Amino acid sequence: MRTDRSTLSDAVVRQSSRRGFLERLGGAVIALAGAQTIASAALATDADANPYTNFCGHTYTTGNCPAPTGLPRIDRNGYPLRASDGVPVDDLGRPVNAEGQPIDAGGSVLTDADGVPLAPAPRTKVCETAGEDYKVELALDGSWYRCCGGTVRRIRDCCGVTNVRINGDAALTGYCYPGRHVFCVTYFQTSMPC
Amino acid sequence: MLSLLVVAGALTALSAGIAGAWSPCGFSMVDTIGTALGDARRPVMIFATATFTAGALAGGAITFGSLALLGGLLGHGGGGLRDALAGALALAAAYADWRGLRIAPQIRRQVPERWRWIMPLPLACGLYGLLLGLGFTTFVLSFAVWALAGISFAADSAIFGVVVGVAFGVGRALPVLWIAPRLRSERGERALERLALEPRLWLGLRRLDAIGLGACAVALAGSGALAAAPNFATDPSAYGGSFAWQKVGGNGFLFADARIIKLAGSLPALGGGKLAYVADGQIAISAGVPSHSPITIPGPPDSTIDALAVSARWLIVRDEAGSGLENLFAVSLLDHARRRYIAGSSTAGAISRPAIEGDTVVWAYSSASQSDIYAENLRTGARRVVASATKNVQYSSPSLDAGRLLYVQTDRCQQELLLGSPLSSTQSHARLLLRLPSTVMRDPGWQPGYVQNYNSASLCPNRGPGAGGTTTLGATALSGSLAYVGESPVTDVKHTTIVRIGLH
Repeated sequence: MRTDRSTLSDAVVRQSSRRGFLERLGGAVIALAGAQTIASAALATDADANPYTNFCGHTYTTGNCPAPTGLPRIDRNGYPLRASDGVPVDDLGRPVNAEGQPIDAGGSVLTDADGVPLAPAPRTKVCETAGEDYKVELALDGSWYRCCGGTVRRIRDCCGVTNVRINGDAALTGYCYPGRHVFCVTYFQTSMPC
Repeated sequence: MLSLLVVAGALTALSAGIAGAWSPCGFSMVDTIGTALGDARRPVMIFATATFTAGALAGGAITFGSLALLGGLLGHGGGGLRDALAGALALAAAYADWRGLRIAPQIRRQVPERWRWIMPLPLACGLYGLLLGLGFTTFVLSFAVWALAGISFAADSAIFGVVVGVAFGVGRALPVLWIAPRLRSERGERALERLALEPRLWLGLRRLDAIGLGACAVALAGSGALAAAPNFATDPSAYGGSFAWQKVGGNGFLFADARIIKLAGSLPALGGGKLAYVADGQIAISAGVPSHSPITIPGPPDSTIDALAVSARWLIVRDEAGSGLENLFAVSLLDHARRRYIAGSSTAGAISRPAIEGDTVVWAYSSASQSDIYAENLRTGARRVVASATKNVQYSSPSLDAGRLLYVQTDRCQQELLLGSPLSSTQSHARLLLRLPSTVMRDPGWQPGYVQNYNSASLCPNRGPGAGGTTTLGATALSGSLAYVGESPVTDVKHTTIVRIGLH
């Protein structure tokens, strides 16, 4: 391999004068710079400069899916999390453990005045539950990823076969699968630094 | 205690209303209805008597019912202080009426005489009755009227206010009904004369008022003790006029026969004329009040009992086994060996504190996938779901009384104390008794620094972002015209209190 590479270099040198080489190099640099400018103008977006709606990463105007504590942050399976710290919450908005029992900030199970643990409450998927509330069959379809708060955020559209979105007006296609439209939006915060 | 208060208040109001006959208006009414038209048009006079009576009843109901409603609008807090103030007012008025002190403050106003001339007699008399029934638009003839106004306000029960008002109206109408139709006869004239010349009759009625007000004060004192006692308390239970609760971290207590009794055990439950509580790992059951030789039923081995309910025929026990399993079962009080398993869960707290009335037991079961209230007839084994949710809502703390179901419904925005039916499979017509904001931390539904719009689904109409309410609704009880619910501070459940709410 080394012999082949030397041979190729030598051939290039042999076929080029020094002046011609510099001319070609300068042209390549100019072409690269121009391509970058065109590409920037036509394709890329400034990750921090977009006028996001309601939360970082959400473009356009489709409203939030109803979520127990406000912002529609979900886990990888679509269950609700508290937006501020990613703690799992039930449908009432209470932080819960793996058994669904409400817990305090230290992770201890909350009890009533008799010392008996407080009862669990339903914990349901944000998108699907929004569908039940609004009488539309909904599911999480496609996504887009943006850098938010130092980690990658996955914007997940909650989609269905509907022409109306949660705002009450016409639904957009968004990241939904063909034939479906965005009813409301959720997001999943990954742990991937960006 | 409300029933004693209602009876005493109604009798006092009746007497106070009759005492009003000795006012200028009272005399004028008798004369107006009895003589204005003469014998020739007696049917019209009878009709006028009827409209006067209807007006008096309506006026009384408006005044005292409104005061009671107004008291209710100010909320159910401070019940003990309110009852104490009303009781003090009743005692002061009783003293003044007993001694026949001059009425103060005095309202020196009369019904408009011109109505008698410009209106048909039945219409004028109806309006006269309304003014007299209102009580405070003309002369007041006993301190009891003032005291009953204060008691109506404090009672926090529109039923009490209306009953007192109607009784007052009846009292105002009775002398007119008694004398006016006979006024043109000798007997009638004599009756009116006796009325006018015998102030001792009026003073005697005021003494009856004083006795009635004394009874009201006793009822209010008991009621006040009842309202004040359950601080740092939970697990309310009520039956008839008795009320039991669990002191947080201590013993159970019973309020019965106008006294508070400390029980020799914990987790008291009332029902079917029986009292049950846990003492030394056994369940003691006695009739109404603690007896020296209660029936004892051994508790389940290797388990901790953490809730009881009792009726005339059944004892319901919730326990947690050493393995962590939670069970709910019934024991027949007719045959202690006869037990019926009701429900179980591997998650502590999933099964609510049960309640029972007759053969019907209710309990809530909540998990991460559903929340339901069940009702089961222990005699037939028939089980129904009376409230159910697979999302967004938690049902808890059911209790029963007289075919009514009291329970708590919680969602992400609010907590509601509702009165529904154990016979219905949905509680869409349940009556709201109390609403508090949810206690969970909520964000504003948008991140600062970004455009805020179209996020209405993230908001709660009744509360804003932040920590939310400071109180969690807990265990309930229901008896007669009173509902009870535990209110726990979010920061310290040991400071749980029991509040009572009048069912208007």
